[in-house]
Amino acid sequence: MARKLSMKDAINEALDQEMSRDPTVIVMGEDIVGGSGSPGENDAWGGVLGVTKGLYAKHGDRLMDTPLSESAYIGAAIGASTCGLRPVAELMFLDFMGVCFDQIFNQAAKFRYMFGGKAETPVTIRAMVGAGFRAAAQHSQMLTPIFTHIPGLKVVCASNAYDAKGLLIQSIRDNDPVIFCEHKNLYGHETDVPEESYTIPFAEANIVREGGDATIVGYGLIVHRAQEAADTLAKEGIDCEIVDLRTLSPIDIDSVVESVENTGRLVCVDEANPRCSIAADITATVSQQAFGALKAAPQLVTAPHTPVPFSPALEDIYIPSAASIADAVRKTMAP
Amino acid sequence: MNDVFPLGKEDLLKAYRTMKTIREFEERLHVDFGRGDIPGFVHLYAGEEAAATGIMMHLNDKDRIASTHRGHGHCIAKGVDINAMMGEIYGKSTGACHGKGGSMHIADLSKGMMGANGILGAGSPLACGAALAAQKLGHGGIGMSFTGDGASNQGTFLESLNLAAIWNLPMVFVVENNGYAESTSVDYATAVDSYVDRAAGFGVPGVTVDGTDFFAVHEAAGEVIRRAREGGGPSLLECKMIRFFGHFEGDAQTYRAEGETEDNRSNRDCLKQFRARVTEAGVIDAGALDAIDGEVMAAIDNAVEQAIAAPLPGAADLTTDVYVSY
Amino acid sequence: MRARGPAVSTAKPVVGIIANPVSARDIRRIVAYAGNMQITDRANIVLRLLAGLGAVGIERVLVMPENSGIRQHVVRGLERSGNLGEARFPKVEYLDMAVTTSTGDSVAAARRMREAGVAAIIVLGGDGTHRAVVSACGDIPIAGVSTGTNNAFPRFQEPTTVGMAVGLAVTDPELGEVAFRGNKLLEVEVAGRREIALVDVAVVAERYIGARALWHTRNFQELFVTFAEAEVIGMSVIAGLLDPVDRATPEGRHVRFDNSDDPACRLRAPIAPGVVETIGIESWGALLPDTPCPVGPEQGSIAFDGERELSFSTGDHPTVTLRTDAFRTIDVSACMHYGARKRLLHGERAEHITPATQPEDSA
Repeated sequence: MARKLSMKDAINEALDQEMSRDPTVIVMGEDIVGGSGSPGENDAWGGVLGVTKGLYAKHGDRLMDTPLSESAYIGAAIGASTCGLRPVAELMFLDFMGVCFDQIFNQAAKFRYMFGGKAETPVTIRAMVGAGFRAAAQHSQMLTPIFTHIPGLKVVCASNAYDAKGLLIQSIRDNDPVIFCEHKNLYGHETDVPEESYTIPFAEANIVREGGDATIVGYGLIVHRAQEAADTLAKEGIDCEIVDLRTLSPIDIDSVVESVENTGRLVCVDEANPRCSIAADITATVSQQAFGALKAAPQLVTAPHTPVPFSPALEDIYIPSAASIADAVRKTMAP
Repeated sequence: MNDVFPLGKEDLLKAYRTMKTIREFEERLHVDFGRGDIPGFVHLYAGEEAAATGIMMHLNDKDRIASTHRGHGHCIAKGVDINAMMGEIYGKSTGACHGKGGSMHIADLSKGMMGANGILGAGSPLACGAALAAQKLGHGGIGMSFTGDGASNQGTFLESLNLAAIWNLPMVFVVENNGYAESTSVDYATAVDSYVDRAAGFGVPGVTVDGTDFFAVHEAAGEVIRRAREGGGPSLLECKMIRFFGHFEGDAQTYRAEGETEDNRSNRDCLKQFRARVTEAGVIDAGALDAIDGEVMAAIDNAVEQAIAAPLPGAADLTTDVYVSY
Repeated sequence: MRARGPAVSTAKPVVGIIANPVSARDIRRIVAYAGNMQITDRANIVLRLLAGLGAVGIERVLVMPENSGIRQHVVRGLERSGNLGEARFPKVEYLDMAVTTSTGDSVAAARRMREAGVAAIIVLGGDGTHRAVVSACGDIPIAGVSTGTNNAFPRFQEPTTVGMAVGLAVTDPELGEVAFRGNKLLEVEVAGRREIALVDVAVVAERYIGARALWHTRNFQELFVTFAEAEVIGMSVIAGLLDPVDRATPEGRHVRFDNSDDPACRLRAPIAPGVVETIGIESWGALLPDTPCPVGPEQGSIAFDGERELSFSTGDHPTVTLRTDAFRTIDVSACMHYGARKRLLHGERAEHITPATQPEDSA
């Protein structure tokens, strides 16, 4: 049975169901319960945007508020994951990775390899990503490329509530460290979400729209912008295929290649900054694997090489718009 | 007048064997590394044996330790096989990590050894995680991190003290204060004289012991470990000790005073002190210790021979074990 | 008992201060609820002592050096005061000696201060630090401020007052009769070695020094004390709760423990901060001076003022002897009360107090 659920509630439901199913799942982060030690209510916040609200009432002290100490508690979650727990740690904003990145990229990512295959690090790190929230430069980045670059990490970024629930459950059950990115501007976005527990495999992109003229590749908020662009282009007689990557590491590059072999045109869209972006990564790989199929040069549409601006006037032109995506498609169609 | 002990004869012999194994393992590496036989970097624990041994004798496989870059002593004291260690140091596929980690990343999770670590201070949060798991799973184990006098200035260490205190984690923070962080003296780099004072600032009690005195370490470690196990929360154990070699092999140690190392080897050798005390007390006779010496040398020789003879990992091993599944 | 003070020379007396940072990091923080006096707190105590000394005319103070941070804080405090134009503090000189960050530093400092002719030494620390100083200070009177775990020998007294009292004691010839007391100590001789304790000597069954402190009560064998107050913590309170004896009376106490399951006498005693244990007692009695008392057990360890220091075995035959009038302390309370009665801090005599703060002399 499906019903409409927001992405925020879908994430909440995924955590709830996994905690009910597996007693080794614990959830920790700053203010994820909220009110710890305070005289007011417990579960005062349930997360800074309320994503984890209500879980404390059901699962009690398996939800743990943490002090402002990312190195310590992200590291503790990682360490605990090698010792029989299955922690879900929240790094409130992925922008905060700087204060704990060593634990993620030098420790969690490398245990399995450095220890000759003898370690398992089944930790999930949830973090908010993305711009459009007027949260300014240090709370709005799309840092997915940095984590995708690191061998040993998996990186997930859903574009909708249905995918979010399935991918989060998959992330928690996965025995490798997963960075689960939640676009803060999609928390309110609703889709049909089944009540029962389900998983979505990694490295399985979703073709959210079929079309024979051009392939648009994106993830997260961009998928919705791409849909808008495709709607506009359809009126011009251009049929776009949209590939929602869903997971960046591992990545379903085969689906992209297959699509490009059909359409011959590639437009990679990314909310991340342009240098070493996911867009650049896919463009290079697809060019190498499907060069012969390309009818036009691939196009990249990314944020500019700047920090995220504060003023709404600027932030709104920072994120790739439907118009800029449509322009890029038209470029590939030009004779 | 004699000084006699809390451990029975068997345990005393075991302690000696462990310390001697660490000493000879490191002394042998010093020689072989100097000859150019060993790739990469090694950081030797010689001189510090009493700390690892005195502490680890209280631990079992459910207890997890997160070590430092200078991890051979912790590995041996925690029960990691020396053949697997030597193989790893030589980068062979028979190594504890199949040659993929090297000296700075030797680990054996089955023995509760969460790895030597090339990032100083990184072990403290990880050990807090082990302590958290022990607390949640209720299996009576503890988490223990080792940091040197230098790494104990790292933010991760300080944050971990706070985290362990607020969650009352079954944690022991061992600070191995050998007076030098690489080439920098602790008197320069650390604002307080004692790391116990630091822990007190986070609400964590601590004790300082002479890290070259096996019995002082053993007794104090017993108390802090018992306290952690029984729900008494975290403690800090500072061991003041001496390392005989440089920060890494190849370190000319020009930061030391003239004659400092000779003086250390003569007057602050924990193995010599242990031997003198158990033999003078008449509890162990020198012959038994000499016999252990012989066995240890043979075991080290054997480990080196095996490591040299063992195969290197193949090209296919390059891309294995990045993930459980991808 | 009162001891005669020294003849006060015409040269301005110099006072020494020994603040050893090494005390108070031991295992009583783990097995008891002992506190931890921070370096900055110790430094503040030194500054308060110096202020008290300065206020009564002491011009020069010798201080033991250490590398633990006390010196930095003290020097900073002195500089700041100087920058503000205050004339609060005497001149402070740090002894030129090696720092080993061990109790040996206290011994070495006391020896040097004695050689330099100080009139008194003020000691900051626990029983162990005081013991170390007494072992080397000879005839020089000491005053103690407690900062360590064991609180039996030194009291915690406001350091400003201690500074003033010590300053008065060494500058004012009238104070001689009042200021100084003789103190008892215990001498232990074993296998040609002589060690002293200021408050208690405990014989325990543990045959190793290990982490030094005493907390396994079932291993207590015998206890000797110089004085035993009922309101302190530590080993001496055991005697203090059985049959107290004060610091002046020329006798001590000797207690034998009973570790059987059914001792004749069970005593509840606060042997460590926050730790009140039930201890089996066999007997207790007076310990008379100058009478070597052999230790009962054949083997074990001996703790001096709460710290295991040496072990002994069959054939060693340790003995414990009480000595009276063995070293001198300054009676801070007596000095200050005398000063009040004799108006030593009033009017003309209080030349270091600025008139603005001086109440009307109604003499």
